Amino acid sequence: MTENTTIADPLTLPDTGEARLHLTGISKRFGAVRAIRHADMTVKAGSVHALVGENGAGKSTLIKIIAGAESADTGEISFESAPVRISSTLEAIHLGIATVYQEPQLFAELTVSENIFTGRELKTGGRIDWRAQNDRVVELLELIGLPGRYATAVVGTLSIAEQQQVSIAKALAGKAKVLILDEPSAILTDAEIDVLFTVVRRLTSTGVSVIYISHRLDELFRIADEVTVMRDGTTLGTFGIGELSVRRIVELMVGGIIADEKPVRQIADLPARLELSALGLTGHFHNVNLAVRPGEIVGLYGLVGSGVSEIAATVYGIEQADSGEIRLDGTSIRPKSPRHAQKLGIALLPANRKLEGMFSFQPISFNISAGHLPLLSKGGWVNRKRETEVARDMIRRLAVKTPSEKQNIGAMSGGNAQKVVLARQLVERPEVLVLAEPTQGVDVGAKEEIHRIITALADEGTAVLVVTSDLSEALRISDRLIVVRAGTTTVEFGPDATQVDVLAAAAGDLHDDAAPETTTKGEGS
Amino acid sequence: MTTTTPAPVATPVRDALAARVLRALLTQRTVLIVVLLVIVLAAFMVMDANGYLTGPYDGDTLASALINLVPLAMLALAQMLVIVSGRGGIDLSIGSTVSLTGMVFGFAYQNWDLPLIVAVLVAMIAGALCGAVNGFLIAYLGFPALIATLATYYGYASIALVINAQKPVTGDRIAALYGAAAQSVELPVIGANLPNIPVGVFYFLLPTVVVVYLIVARTTYGRRLFATGTNDVAGRFAGIDVRDTRFKAYLLAGVIAGLVAVVTTAQFASARPDAGTSGNGMALPAITIAVLGGVAITGGIGRVAGVVLAGLLVVWLNAGIPLAISGNTGPQFQLLALGVVLVFAALLNGLTTRRYGGTK
Amino acid sequence: MSTSTLPAPPSDAPPAKIRRRVLPSPVTGQEFVLIGVIVALWLLLALFTRGFFSELTLISLVGYMAPVATIGIGMTIIIITGGIDVSVAANVMVCSVIVAKTMVGYDTSVPVLVLLAVVVGALLGLVNGLLIAYGRVHAIIITFGTANLFQFLGLQIFGSNTVNGIPRDLKVFGIGSEGRVLGLPLAFLITIALAALAWVYLRHTAGGRHFYAVGGDAHAARLAGVRVQRRQMLAYVITGGLVGLAACFTIALGTSTVQQNIGSGVELAAIAAVVIGGTSIMGGRGSVLGTVLGALLVQTVSTGVTQLKWPSQLSDLFVGIAIVIAVGADLLRERARKNKGRSTR
Repeated sequence: MTENTTIADPLTLPDTGEARLHLTGISKRFGAVRAIRHADMTVKAGSVHALVGENGAGKSTLIKIIAGAESADTGEISFESAPVRISSTLEAIHLGIATVYQEPQLFAELTVSENIFTGRELKTGGRIDWRAQNDRVVELLELIGLPGRYATAVVGTLSIAEQQQVSIAKALAGKAKVLILDEPSAILTDAEIDVLFTVVRRLTSTGVSVIYISHRLDELFRIADEVTVMRDGTTLGTFGIGELSVRRIVELMVGGIIADEKPVRQIADLPARLELSALGLTGHFHNVNLAVRPGEIVGLYGLVGSGVSEIAATVYGIEQADSGEIRLDGTSIRPKSPRHAQKLGIALLPANRKLEGMFSFQPISFNISAGHLPLLSKGGWVNRKRETEVARDMIRRLAVKTPSEKQNIGAMSGGNAQKVVLARQLVERPEVLVLAEPTQGVDVGAKEEIHRIITALADEGTAVLVVTSDLSEALRISDRLIVVRAGTTTVEFGPDATQVDVLAAAAGDLHDDAAPETTTKGEGS
Repeated sequence: MTTTTPAPVATPVRDALAARVLRALLTQRTVLIVVLLVIVLAAFMVMDANGYLTGPYDGDTLASALINLVPLAMLALAQMLVIVSGRGGIDLSIGSTVSLTGMVFGFAYQNWDLPLIVAVLVAMIAGALCGAVNGFLIAYLGFPALIATLATYYGYASIALVINAQKPVTGDRIAALYGAAAQSVELPVIGANLPNIPVGVFYFLLPTVVVVYLIVARTTYGRRLFATGTNDVAGRFAGIDVRDTRFKAYLLAGVIAGLVAVVTTAQFASARPDAGTSGNGMALPAITIAVLGGVAITGGIGRVAGVVLAGLLVVWLNAGIPLAISGNTGPQFQLLALGVVLVFAALLNGLTTRRYGGTK
Repeated sequence: MSTSTLPAPPSDAPPAKIRRRVLPSPVTGQEFVLIGVIVALWLLLALFTRGFFSELTLISLVGYMAPVATIGIGMTIIIITGGIDVSVAANVMVCSVIVAKTMVGYDTSVPVLVLLAVVVGALLGLVNGLLIAYGRVHAIIITFGTANLFQFLGLQIFGSNTVNGIPRDLKVFGIGSEGRVLGLPLAFLITIALAALAWVYLRHTAGGRHFYAVGGDAHAARLAGVRVQRRQMLAYVITGGLVGLAACFTIALGTSTVQQNIGSGVELAAIAAVVIGGTSIMGGRGSVLGTVLGALLVQTVSTGVTQLKWPSQLSDLFVGIAIVIAVGADLLRERARKNKGRSTR
C-alpha cells in the first residue's frame, strides 16, 4: 500500500567515517572519446562531497554512472560496503541514490504534493490518500525549508528556485541516502543559494550524503566537507576543504598546462565600435561595462548563470535592457528585435545550435540564405544563382566538409553544422559579431578552424565579442578578456592572462590573498 | 524545395540495391506516390481489360476525374501552406471558408452583377479576410491552430448559412458558369491524341499550382515560411518576422479557398451555403492529401509536387473504385481507401522521420 | 567587491494560489465564469422569450445535451493526455447502426443493447489507441484516417440507406415521458453520474492523475514510472465506450429511423465543449466539470437561438465565439502566469 518516505525518520546516526559510496577504477569511453580514464571516489555518510573540474573533465559522466544513466566500462562501485551494479536509474533510486538535475523535471499543472508522489501514490481503497501524501510532503518541505502550505500549490505558480527545491524534495521522498545535486546553484540567486545550503546542511545532519557539483568554487568553502578534483577524465584526489583555497582548486583543475603561445594581435587605436555602459536587465545582469574596438576580439567569460548569455541576447535585441546604454560607433542604440539588430550591423551566433541556429532537414544553402533574404533577392524573388554562389563561397571559405550546398544540415557533424550557422552571420560582413559559445559540441579540428575564421574576420575590421564558458577558448582567442560574475563585469585581463587567474576571478576569488570564507557548517535542523 | 536525396554521412558507400530502393521510396515521397499511382492505374486497367469493371477505365475516365482534382488539390495546397508554417498548423475552417466565400461570390456575381473577374477578386478578398482572422488568432494571439480554426469553422459555416437564410444563390449568370466550367477542352498541338481536359484544370488548378510552387520555391516568403516552420526560434535569431510569416500562410490559404469557392459554385451551378461543409466537408480530404503528399504535421516539410501527385492518386483511385465495386457501395470504398491511405501515410511519415530523419 | 543587486526571492510571501486544502480547488475560475454565463443566459432567455422555463424546453435542453456531454467526458481525458479524437462521430454512426439493426432484427433488452454499443465503441477506440500509442503518430492525423475507416464500416452495415422501424426500446434514454426519472431525462442523469464518476477517477485515483502527468510531460511521466502508452490507449478506449452509450442516447432522441448522417458534427461539438470548459488543448490540465458546463452552454445557446426564433444556424456562430473567448481568456491567464514566473527569477 504505502511506500517508503522515511526521510523524516532518523536514519542510522551519521558516522562521518563510514563510506557510503565507493568508486574505484571507473573508466568510460564514448566511441573514440575517453570520457573517464580513471576515477576513484569515496563519499562518506552525512557529508557534502564536492566534485569539481573544468567543462569536459568528466564530472557529468561520472555522475551519470552513479545515477545509473550510464554504465561504466571498468571499475567497481560499492554502496554501504557491498559491491553493486547500477544498470538503470531505477536501480539507483532503489539503492537510495537520488539525482536532482539542473532543469526541474516537474509537471507544471499539478500540485507540489502530486509531483512528489507521481508514480508512487499513497492509496487507501483505490483512492489517493491526499491527506497522508500531504502530511508527508509537508514534512519534506519543512525539512528542506519550504513552507508546508506549498504542498498544495500548483508547481507552475512557483518560482524556478522553488521548483528546484521541490525537485530536491521529490528526490528525497524515497529513502535517499545519497543525493546528487548537479549545479543546483547555477540558476539561483544568492539569497536562494543560502536557502539551498541550509537545506543541504539539514540533510547531512540526518545522515544523507550529498554529492555537489558546482562551478562556483567560492561556494564550496561554505558547504563542502571534501572536494574531489577531476581533470581530463581522471580524479586527481580527494581533499579536505581545509586543505584548499579557491586558487589551489583552480590550479588542480587546470593543471600544469601552459597555454599555447599566441601571437599578440595589433589592434589599431580606433574609437570603440560597440560600447556597453552601465547596462542592466533586472534579474539577470547589472552595471555591465565593456567596449570593443573595430578589429578587436573581446572575450566575455562567465559561468553558467552569471548573466553572460543574457548580455549577448540584449546586444542582439532578444532582450531589452532596462537600464544603461548600448552604443554603436558612439551612437546610442536600442535593438528591439534580432531583425533590428541585424539592420544595425550586429550579428549573433547563437549558443544553442540545434535550438536557435539550425534549420534541420533544410539544405546548407537554405540555412545560410535564411538570414540574408533581402540581400539575396530582388522584389521578393530569391536570386537562386546568387544564393548558390554565396553558399558555395562560404563552404569554401569556412572549409565546410560537404559534397554540395544542397546537403541537409541535419545530417552533418556538429563542427560542420556550426560552420554553416556561422556562415550565416558572415554573408554580409557584420560591424559587430557576437559569438555565443562558438565551439560548443565541436571537434578539435573544427574548433581550430572556427577560431581561425573569427580571427580573420576581426582582421578585416569587425568588432568581435566572444561570449563563452570555455575558459581555454576564451584565453586563446581574445585580445582582452572580461570576466562576468554575479551579473556584472568585474575584472579585465590582457593577453598575458593565465587560466588560473581568470578562473579564480570568475569562481569568486577576486583577491589572490583572500582567505577562504569561514563557513557555517554542521548546525542543521 | 530542392530535390536532392539527403546523403547522411553514416550511409555506407555501397548500399544494397534493395536498401537503396527502400530508402528512395521512404525518403522521396514523390517517388512513392508515383509508384503507387502506377500500381493503381495498372491494376484498374488490367481489371478493365479483363472485363471486371462496370465501365471503361481509360483516358477519358481519368481526364474527366480531373474535375474532382481541381478543388481537392487546391485546398490540399492551402493546407500545405499552413501545416508547413509549423507549431501544429492546420486549417479546419477551410471547408466553411469555401462555403462562406462561395456565398459572397454568388452575391457579387449574381446579385450585384459584377463582372466575373471582379467577382472572383471579391471571393479571393473574402477568403483572405477569413484566413486573416485565423492567422491573427494563431500567429499574433497564440491560439493553437486546431482550436482557432475549429472556432472559425463554426463561425464561417454559420454565417454562410444565415447570410441568405440557408438558401443557395442561383440565377442565370451562375447557371451560365456551369456551362463554361463543365467544358473540357482539347490541348493544342498534342491534344488530338489525348482526351479532353476539364477547363477548371487550366483556369484554376494549374495557375494555383504554379503560383504556390513559385511562392514556396522561389520567393523570399517561401524561404521564411519553411524557416519558420522548421524552427521558429532559429527563425527569430535569423531575423525573420515569424508571426508575420505564419499569419500570411493562413491568409494565403484563405485566398485559395476563395478561388475554390468559385470553382464549386460553377460546378454546382449555384452558390450553396454548405458547399464546403456538407458530408465530411472539404477540410478532411484536403488534410489527407497534404499528409499523403509528404507534408509533415510538425511543420517545415512539404513539396508542391508531392501534394499534387497525392491528389491525383486519390482522385484516380476514387474514379476506379465505383467501376470495380458494383452497386451503390462504391463511394463507401472510396472512404475506406482514403482512410487506409491516410493512416498508412501517417505511419510511414513517423517511420521515415525516425529512420531517415524525414521525408521530402 | 560589488554585491549582487538581484532581487531576493520573496520566500516568505506565498505564491498566488495557495490554499489550505489537500488539493487545488475543485472548481476552477473558468468553471465559475461558465456557471455565471449560463445562469445569465438562462435569465435573459427567460426574460426575452416566452416559456424558456417551461418543462418541455428545459427537459429537451438537458436531454439533447446528454450525447455531447457523454462523449465530451471521454474527449476531456484524451485531451488531458495531449491527444485528440476526431473519429468519434464516425464511431457514433457505427454503434448506432449496429444497435439499430440489432433492435430491428432481434428481441433484445436495453442493457444488452447498451452493452453491445459500449463494446463496439470501445473496440473502435482501441484501434485509435493502439495506432496512437504505439504507432507514435499525431492523434489528429490518425483519427482523421480512422474516421474514414469507421464511416466505411458503418455504411457497409447500413447497406441500404436507412434503418427503419426501430422499436421504442431505447426511448428510456429519450426526452419523452418514458425517459424521465424524478422528472428529469434518464440520459441526463446518467451523464451527470458518469461525469461525477470521471471526476472522482481523474481527481482522486493514481490512474486518473497519471493522465495529467502524461499530458503534462510524457518524458517526465515515464521517468516517474507511469506507463505512458497504456494511459494513452486507455483514454481512447474509455472514450470509445462512452461514444457507444452516446449512440444509444442519440437513437433515443431521434425517430424510428436511423439515418446515415447520425452523429455527424458531434466530434467538433464535443471538442468545443471540452475547450470551452477550460481544458487545455496542449494537455496536462482540464476537468470534466468544465466539459459538462461547456456542453450545457452550447446547448443553451442552441436552445436560446431557437426560442428567440433566430435562424438556428446562428448558434454555431455563438459557439465559435464562445470558443475564442474561453481559450483566449485561458491564454491571457497563462501569459500572466509566465510573466509572473519570469519576474520572480
